Amino acid sequence: MTGPDHPFAALLAEYVAECLPLAEEVVEQSLALERAWRDGHQADELFRPLKGTLHTIKGNSAMMGLTGLQTLAHRLEDLWGVLAHEPASRGAGAALFVRGTGLLADLVRATASGPPPEGATTDYLEEVGAFLASDRGAREAAREERRSPDRRAADRRSPKASGEIGADGAVTTIRVDSRRLDALLESFGEAMIAHAGLGEAMRQISARRRPTAEMAQLERAMLGLDRTLKRLEGALLETRLLPIATVFSRFTRLVRDVAHDEGKRVRLEVAGGETRLDKTVIDRLGEPLVHLITNAVIHGIERPDERLAGGKPAEAVITLRAVQRSDRVILTVTDDGRGLDPEGILRKARAIGQAPAVETPSLAEIYALAFLPGLSTADRVSHLSGRGVGLDVVANSIRALSGNVSVGSEPGRGTTFSLRLPLTVAVLRSLLVEVSRERYALPLADVAETVRVRPDTLHQVARQGMMTWRGEVIPVMDGALALGGGAAESRRYCVVLRSAARHRGLLVDSLLGHHDVVVKALDPSLGRPPAVAAATILGDGRVACILDTGRLADGWIEPVAAAAS
Amino acid sequence: MNPGTFLVVDDSKLHHQMYQLIFSRSELAGSTVFHAYDGREGYEMFMAHPELTVVFLDLNMPVMNGLEFLHRRQAEHLHPQVPVVLVTTESTAEDEARGLEAGAWGYLCKPFAPEQLLALVGRASSRLSQRIARP
Repeated sequence: MTGPDHPFAALLAEYVAECLPLAEEVVEQSLALERAWRDGHQADELFRPLKGTLHTIKGNSAMMGLTGLQTLAHRLEDLWGVLAHEPASRGAGAALFVRGTGLLADLVRATASGPPPEGATTDYLEEVGAFLASDRGAREAAREERRSPDRRAADRRSPKASGEIGADGAVTTIRVDSRRLDALLESFGEAMIAHAGLGEAMRQISARRRPTAEMAQLERAMLGLDRTLKRLEGALLETRLLPIATVFSRFTRLVRDVAHDEGKRVRLEVAGGETRLDKTVIDRLGEPLVHLITNAVIHGIERPDERLAGGKPAEAVITLRAVQRSDRVILTVTDDGRGLDPEGILRKARAIGQAPAVETPSLAEIYALAFLPGLSTADRVSHLSGRGVGLDVVANSIRALSGNVSVGSEPGRGTTFSLRLPLTVAVLRSLLVEVSRERYALPLADVAETVRVRPDTLHQVARQGMMTWRGEVIPVMDGALALGGGAAESRRYCVVLRSAARHRGLLVDSLLGHHDVVVKALDPSLGRPPAVAAATILGDGRVACILDTGRLADGWIEPVAAAAS
Repeated sequence: MNPGTFLVVDDSKLHHQMYQLIFSRSELAGSTVFHAYDGREGYEMFMAHPELTVVFLDLNMPVMNGLEFLHRRQAEHLHPQVPVVLVTTESTAEDEARGLEAGAWGYLCKPFAPEQLLALVGRASSRLSQRIARP
């Protein structure tokens, strides 16, 4: 315990000043939680943040040498873990948890006049110990009863939770170090590349020789291998998926804190937390989301009096929603604030010389400008956002995950940011193209259509190549110029790419079909051309660049050569 | 060991004061200490100060945690000569490996004693001066 000779004894008052509000918050939230659970609500937004707060109290107590408080906070974390994984234990468990948080707050408060006496927590800790021990047995028994024989069989087929024992006593689930999964995926990638090489060699052989029975047999074997690899890929990726709730859980407190600092009233609503994404994507999603949410509170949402004057409820709502659409996950951050200011954005864009080429840009085109570097319409600098880190940073980190971000807004009604993310970052469905004898992979999700270029559809308007496509005039760019790999030539095909505001065309020589390519990250120390996101190894052993379609769209004002006939 | 320049990134005010106290009662008294209260703020300070002796980086923070800080630094190759010490409560071996993989130079586990922190600083600065001596 902290005696006068403890190195941090002088900081006891600071400890109380920092930890008491945290402990009181834990008490308040666990009380609300107990009520919510009694009423049958899930109340994850109350429950999730508790762990982090307890962890902070534990760390601070440990540093101060307040071992009694450290142990108490630690046991409360354990209890939290049981409540998280065993909803059935929530009746008795919640009451025990609430009592523990009360004790925690009392002890922190008492620390102001000296470390709490030894043994102040003994009784409570014993009780928790007994609960955790008895509960484990009870939990297992309850689970057995709930489980029908079919269900047990199903569980053996697809083990999901961690560390579970099956009905027959065999281990059905094991915990695996995530780095082992990474290594497994890496090896799978190598197998995919080898498989592509084998396919390529076979195509060349069968192109040169007359079909034989052996060849037919080989082809059948290849088809089998093909299917097996597909299944293996699916199974492997499945093991890497985590519910997005693991990243959502951080934001309730963030919203509350930022709103408090800003003198605003904001509630965070979360939907689709069970939607699953690759672990790598989840890991790298935190920062951009923090940025979008902080921005929404600071810049998007009005002060309570402004809201009331505008006929809105004083409390604003930010909604974080995730939904899966085929092999993509769409994440939206919506606020019911003042909306974006299109004129302001356009003015700023013109000021930095980035206005769109078109005379009267559409709203979508104007909003897309918000992602340009150096463009932030906030007039005020706050301590969390608006420090020169703009939406361009968000867009870049999402693009680094082969995703893209767009924004929609309605003046006075609010703003929605939509993030489209791939389920995984390991294998990319892509369209392979050839430009001046170099091969490139384009993410298939960004390809709207491929068309044969005809001279009468290609025009040159003020140095900018344009093409009529489905009645729409879209800007087009020569592939070699776009990629910095040479001069414009006449090309036979145009790949129409989706981007946030409008479609754009990339002129290429040939289309080599759809391929699932294994994404190989580029060494950042090598530097990379701006439009290249990553690389892949093709069946013939050649390296192809995977293009970053979002960045390609950024620098889109170059002339094109006349089209081939 | 001579006074140096340090950056402390931690969301707990208490911890900032602990670092101050440790420095002021040691040979490091008179050091310059920069304080940041979340990862992003810390990263901005880090960008501006290539001369730092050591960065103490808390793992769990709102607005960019320690690991995100390290990943970004790795991606941007920012001041690789500056040792960054990751500070955690009860880290698992896996956490530790992840931190080191992301380029952390060292690990400090809470609770730590002043002597532990000073020993790390000593090791970091001797490594630095060695490197300067042998270009």
